[in-house]
Amino acid sequence: MADKKKKEAGYEPKILSFCCNWCSYAGADLAGVSRLQMPANFRTIRVMCSSRVNPVYVFTALERGADGVIVTGCHPGDCHYARGNYFTRRRQALLEKVLEEIGFDRERVMLRWISASEGPEFASTMEEFDATIRSKGKNPLSEEVFL
Amino acid sequence: MARRIGFFICECGPNIGENVDIDAVLNAVEDMDDVVLAARFGLMCSGPGKDFLKANIKTEKLTHLVVAACSPKQHELTFMEVCEDSGINPFLFQLTNIREQVAWVTKDKEEATEKTIRLAKAAIRRVRYHDPLSKTALAVNADVLVIGGGVAGMAAALRLASPERRVHLVERSSSLGGRVVAQGPIYPTMASGGEMATAMVDLVEGNDWIVVHRYSEVSVVVGFFGNFEVVVTGELEDGGTLETKVNVGAGVVATGAEVLEGKPLEDLGHGSIDGVVSSAELEAMLADGSIGGKGGKAPKSVAFVQCVGRDEVGYCSEICCMNSAKQARLLLEAAKGAKVHILYRDLCVPGRDQQAFLEGAVKAGANLVRTTSVEVGGSKGGITVSHSLGDGKAEKLMVDMVVLSPAMVPPTGTEGMAEMLNVELDPSGFLLEAHAKLEPMAAGIDGIYLAGSASGPRSVSDSIVQAEACAGRVLSSLIPGRTIEPEIRVSHILETLCTGCQTCLEVCCYGAIVYDPMKNVSHINAAICRGCGNCVAACPSNAISLYHFTYKQLYQEIVEAIR
Ligand SMILES: Cc1cc2nc3c(=O)[nH]c(=O)nc-3n(C[C@H](O)[C@H](O)[C@H](O)COP(=O)(O)OP(=O)(O)OC[C@H]3O[C@@H](n4cnc5c(N)ncnc54)[C@H](O)[C@@H]3O)c2cc1C
Ligand code: SF4
Ligand code: SF4
Ligand code: SF4
Ligand code: FES
Repeated sequence: MADKKKKEAGYEPKILSFCCNWCSYAGADLAGVSRLQMPANFRTIRVMCSSRVNPVYVFTALERGADGVIVTGCHPGDCHYARGNYFTRRRQALLEKVLEEIGFDRERVMLRWISASEGPEFASTMEEFDATIRSKGKNPLSEEVFL
Repeated sequence: MARRIGFFICECGPNIGENVDIDAVLNAVEDMDDVVLAARFGLMCSGPGKDFLKANIKTEKLTHLVVAACSPKQHELTFMEVCEDSGINPFLFQLTNIREQVAWVTKDKEEATEKTIRLAKAAIRRVRYHDPLSKTALAVNADVLVIGGGVAGMAAALRLASPERRVHLVERSSSLGGRVVAQGPIYPTMASGGEMATAMVDLVEGNDWIVVHRYSEVSVVVGFFGNFEVVVTGELEDGGTLETKVNVGAGVVATGAEVLEGKPLEDLGHGSIDGVVSSAELEAMLADGSIGGKGGKAPKSVAFVQCVGRDEVGYCSEICCMNSAKQARLLLEAAKGAKVHILYRDLCVPGRDQQAFLEGAVKAGANLVRTTSVEVGGSKGGITVSHSLGDGKAEKLMVDMVVLSPAMVPPTGTEGMAEMLNVELDPSGFLLEAHAKLEPMAAGIDGIYLAGSASGPRSVSDSIVQAEACAGRVLSSLIPGRTIEPEIRVSHILETLCTGCQTCLEVCCYGAIVYDPMKNVSHINAAICRGCGNCVAACPSNAISLYHFTYKQLYQEIVEAIR
């Protein structure tokens, strides 16, 4: 399956995902427990709350050649730390705006809310994000040489 | 001391073993900096698996441990214990999840192996920057804060107070007793509410272990179950305020309910037509004897109008039908042969005693009439009440008195209370319980409980049942002498980098951060911080660091994960 996709796109996207410990990470685990199949190219960084994800990390990942970065957390109102994800949402909006300003494709970053019981949603989100990134091709920054 | 990292990959029987090329993973990581051992085992969480880890930690003199196995939710603690048993600080350990999030989500072995290698390398890079952290044990504070001195708050305080447990009872008004202290006979027993509440007030005031704060409100609550820091703000006679700091382990909110005022009542003549009163006003007159009793006057004809404001608030207030039946009985006792009509939309008389109580009122002469809409007007000979009987028919009554039964609503300040305590509100504005059926006395926050009408209108007996339930929860969990282990993966501020901008204070949902104007820097109270990391991401000066999720640790993990 992966081989066929690789041929189609000519490359295998590198995707970084941030999951919060309480909701989306548990949702990802549930997807696994339910044996839901999904592209395995994303690598997860577990944080306690999505609000720990400093936009700098997203920039770092993109600059270091990640083809896409997805931040996931609890649904609004469900954050384990009361209102952390509202801050995440605001930071993400700002981040996307900055990306747009500097002429970088903002669709390479995504924010999604996934609860601990939404295994299928986790799998389908990863499918969807993978498809988006695949269709966009390689992150142009990964070709550039930084001094 | 040089780092000596041991990497261990678990086969989990066939679960990981069959889906990941384990040898390829071992090959890929064994040359990494500081890795002195890379090994596999069949079932790492089993007794032999743990022994295998311990033996290798010893012989290889490992200083750090990385395990690639199942989700941290399964066995992170298991392996942290192995570390502790082997003399490695449990935070010099990283678990990476290659079962739920790798082996189980793809059947493509090549892909799974590639992902495992990346995650393993990321974990190894990360663990190199881990710092040892030490757990602290904090003695629980067994004292309890009770907010609101009505029957619910007093019942909770009386049950809780003991030589080992001081109770701080905070009452906004000048005196204890709440609504019931000013009530006459209460349904269903018709015992005097005033006498009952006064007896409770005496017990509270005579109790050496209850500290009563009158004219006071709670202005700050920060912390967690076992260790809340509270500020009680009292009003002084000269108009000033006095702040008292108290520490408690749990809190009971018993702020009661208020009677709706305003438009729905005014529309029915309240405030403009003589003789139109609210049920609460009638209650006061019945209690002080200005109506009924010896020498009190009594109206010859009365109409009770139920469900006033029910559509506006959107719920049934539960106590009003029974209360009107009670007040009707009292009026009929005061003036034999009086005409008493109760105009209701729906009757709410659940429970063992209520039906008989209502029938008693009917037997005594109360006239129950179902109606769909009511209008009240003033006229020379009294008050006219026109109401429709539903099937197109209407009826007009002439009465001396109209009693409006308004909805019960959350007391003023409930929103601020909810925000301060991090407790949710239900759509009607009352404090929301953790679970309406399973935990009707608990708020969604550990260590905060709800008693009486604070979470919705309630009778006296139901209020007391809830207060006792709150006390039960506290007594069974907040035990003097016990210790708790607060979160140690908390944030801290580097004073040298902090510019005192106070952005972090704004984002912290727990009030864990305080600003020190003398030094122009902020501080995090480690006992209150929950370790979410929100402030870390918010600080424009990079002055905040979250233990075990430091900038460097995450940076190393990210860079290796996407290499
Ligand atoms: C007209 C009327 C008649 C009733 N008759 C009956 C009856 O016959 N039988 C029956 O079972 N029930 C009756 N009830 C219901 C009864 O009054 C309630 O069950 C009872 O008052 C609930 O007690 P509580 O302690 O929860 O709240 P309350 O009695 O409302 O007490 C709450 C207390 O908290 C204080 N407070 C509020 N906010 C704050 C704050 N932010 N900080 C500090 N203090 C605060 C208030 O000042 C008050 O002292 C009647 C109610 C009404 C309105
Ligand atoms: S440690 Fe986890 S992955 Fe390994 S055998 Fe036990 S359950 Fe399976
Ligand atoms: S946000 Fe940073 S710089 Fe500003 S007060 Fe807080 S720690 Fe200091
Ligand atoms: S990490 Fe920061 S924002 Fe989160 S609870 Fe601690 S001090 Fe507050
Ligand atoms: S804990 Fe999940 S977003 Fe905050």
